Amino acid sequence: MATLTATRKSALRRELETIVGSGGVLSEPDELLVYESDGLTLFRALADFVVLPTSVEQVSGVVRLANREDIPFVARGAGTGLAGGCLPAEGGLVISMMRMNRVLEIDYDNQIAVVEPGLVNLHLSWAVGPRGFYYAPDPSSQQACTIGGNIATNSGGPHTLKYGVTVNHVLGLEVVMPDGEIVWLGGKTRDALGYDLLGVFVGSEGTFGIATKIVVRILKKPAAVKTVLAVFDRIEQASMAVSAIIARGLVPAAVEMIDQLTIQAVEDAFGCGYPRDAAAALLIELDGLAVGMEVQAERIAAACRESGAREVRTAANETERQLLWKGRKSAFGAYGRVSPAYMVMDGVIPRTRLPYVVARVNEIVAAHGLRVGNVFHAGDGNLHPNILYDPRKAGEEARVVAAGAEIMKVCAEVGGSISGEHGIGLEKVDFMPFIFSAADLALMQRLKDAFNPRGLCNPGKVFPTRKSCVETGPVAYRPHAIETQGLAQRF
Amino acid sequence: MSLLDKLRAIVGPAHVLTGVDLSPYVIEGRTPEAAVLPGTVDEVAAVVAHAAEAAVPIMPWGGGSAVGVGVPPARTGLVLVLTRLGAIVEHEPGDLTVTAQAGITLATLQTALRARGQWLSLDPPDVECATLGGVLAANAAGPRRHLYGTARDLLIGVSVVTADGALVRGGGKVVKNVAGYDLPKLFIGSFGTLGIIVEASVKLRPLPDDERLVAVRFERLADANAALRALLTSDLIPNAVDLLDAASGAALGLPANAATLAVGFDGLGEQVDWQIAELAGVVVPCGGAKPTVLAPATWPRLASAARDAFEAPAAIMTLSVLPGVVVDTVEQGAEAARKRGLASAWCAHAGVGHLTAALRADGPRQDPAPIAAVLQEWRAVAHAGGGHASVTWAPLPVKSALPVWDDAGPAGRLMQRIKAHLDPNNVLNPGRFVGGI
Repeated sequence: MATLTATRKSALRRELETIVGSGGVLSEPDELLVYESDGLTLFRALADFVVLPTSVEQVSGVVRLANREDIPFVARGAGTGLAGGCLPAEGGLVISMMRMNRVLEIDYDNQIAVVEPGLVNLHLSWAVGPRGFYYAPDPSSQQACTIGGNIATNSGGPHTLKYGVTVNHVLGLEVVMPDGEIVWLGGKTRDALGYDLLGVFVGSEGTFGIATKIVVRILKKPAAVKTVLAVFDRIEQASMAVSAIIARGLVPAAVEMIDQLTIQAVEDAFGCGYPRDAAAALLIELDGLAVGMEVQAERIAAACRESGAREVRTAANETERQLLWKGRKSAFGAYGRVSPAYMVMDGVIPRTRLPYVVARVNEIVAAHGLRVGNVFHAGDGNLHPNILYDPRKAGEEARVVAAGAEIMKVCAEVGGSISGEHGIGLEKVDFMPFIFSAADLALMQRLKDAFNPRGLCNPGKVFPTRKSCVETGPVAYRPHAIETQGLAQRF
Repeated sequence: MSLLDKLRAIVGPAHVLTGVDLSPYVIEGRTPEAAVLPGTVDEVAAVVAHAAEAAVPIMPWGGGSAVGVGVPPARTGLVLVLTRLGAIVEHEPGDLTVTAQAGITLATLQTALRARGQWLSLDPPDVECATLGGVLAANAAGPRRHLYGTARDLLIGVSVVTADGALVRGGGKVVKNVAGYDLPKLFIGSFGTLGIIVEASVKLRPLPDDERLVAVRFERLADANAALRALLTSDLIPNAVDLLDAASGAALGLPANAATLAVGFDGLGEQVDWQIAELAGVVVPCGGAKPTVLAPATWPRLASAARDAFEAPAAIMTLSVLPGVVVDTVEQGAEAARKRGLASAWCAHAGVGHLTAALRADGPRQDPAPIAAVLQEWRAVAHAGGGHASVTWAPLPVKSALPVWDDAGPAGRLMQRIKAHLDPNNVLNPGRFVGGI
């Protein structure tokens, strides 16, 4: 975005270089292009500068400079977000946290770790794995996404059904406030003093400040894990099985649903052992004590059979288990086999409404002349319809967006939410009134004003603001290398 | 029309209490100007709007179990009692969620949920009078927080009447939700200073097939520490790990050992059996006695064991420290009291580093100075353990002798800004909370 004059720009560049060093400032158009969008390629916006700090003092210095110059700024992790949340919607600075990626401290006695925001989610589990620990939140982009980005969006993942989302695993944050002040929210103890500022910061999509140190809980790996695959001839049966499992007093670690279109794409691409003729499958994981695992697995099998499952089988060994999960986790990459592009939706509904809403989603997409693949966190009621389309065909992308809005309306109508884990970002700013009243939004705005009074910190997100310069338009979805290899996915 | 007349017009004359009827609502010796008991959410909103317009401070009141927490109000204006809002709005067992009004007592809610095979995994003390809204506003919890967390892990949606009398909803009724800011988190533990919780949606859990609480007794506190470390790094999955000193143990009717670990297990019967057997193998080599099963009635008394240790405590403090230093904190804290000739009682949710300590009063007219001095030392111990400590109950002379709340540091200024943005005229529980909020 070229709002700065050339003279002012070169003066700013010199000042930024004084703070972060000459290798830490990008301003060439080809360099900036890398940062113009996130995993949702529908939206694009160019920064004036990308800055790569290496310390909290540098982040604070950059933010203070931005305040003095009255230019907006936004923090960015790996850019795997799916709502346009880290785009420089009004130009200005993108502050990349990718050079602050260290594990600073691991305290096994107190089962906590202190990390920098640019640390890749999975790398924390790698760091503590040899001692039998792991970091529980497991968004499916965990091979690439950063813990700082997870803080911004309050990321979930398949295992959040039992273990909760990011906010349930964070104890403290060192934050550079939107005015540059460095403040700790929470700390290393479980209970913080006063208002739960940490709790409201997590999931504020980068509009409350920039986290520079993160204290997280690490958990002991479960002693035993069992993975069950239930196969259904009708998708409603799979939906009903979710409530049947819950009704039997069971809370598995994960309950994931995969529909036929997705199964076929996955089997074409990777051959993970899902039956191609199934209308839907549930991938159910139990973990915990080895004792009692058999009994619980039998209860789950019984609930699935009662709901009409034609087959229920247990992964016989770790290889089979990994293969089933690979099928689930590489589903998004596999859509490339059946469609040149797709757009992933994210909505949440009460679990008992799954049969109705899954049917409605399929009707809505069909009515727009499109196809949809469903692969989602059924246990949480967190839907991810993936609408397939061809961006080269005129008007198709607009139909996808229209179908998406209708799906969000259905989620809202049944008492659900317009986002379970991707966030509002730029994408869903206009959908906020589907679930919030003017009074609700006004209170949120007042809260934002307390954190971010000048509005320079990630403007244009969560709420609409005045001077957005975001471009939207047809750009073919380009799968990332880790998606095509089936290592991770966007959802 | 006077404010009282307006309030009578809103809620009906029978639900505005004045004069001698106010005796249940006397706060630290101060009588409020009136108590109002609205019967609907809209009535709450109207009452708040009128009181705010008249600049009369409002103190929300659930079961009254936490009214002694914090700094007493400078002016006790209107007590807003929420107990008439006691309905379960929606409970769909298949969704594992419930929405209820703020004034329902926890006991009533749990009974209704249990009838359908579910429960809310929050077990603070005083469930017979503590209300759902009050428990959330005070962020109260109990022993099972070890496995199931606190209100912030369970609350998914909240309806609040704000200082201007608007009804605002945050979160929703689904278990996973990142739309907009997480307003439910903001109101948890805010002690009614940002808004009045009128309705809440929470996540539920299925009732376990079986649940048992066992006691492991220790002759030495140091042995209990070793056993704790061994337990927390074992494969066992306890739902509660509480540490009790001799005085707190006595409050539960346990023998006078130096320390007792009360450990809870739930799940299938065979899982509970296996874990209790396994626990013996973990704690006995550390010097613990063989685990003995406690009566289920012990559960609800665990969280208040220190408070209940003395007939008339001189002060109660809550300390939050790193789990690894819980036993050290108990040792140092008890020693600090002993040095000044005072007896103390300690209990802790040891796995999460949450301690409650009580001091014994020696007579009706006790000198507040040594009590305040001990509390200050306890606070210093908590700081050394990486945490903080606040007075949760004490007579006024003690509360006047030291800051009731610990210092929130730079984050405290941000809290004050939030308060100023959400309650600009300072009508909601003014002055009661951290940093003078």
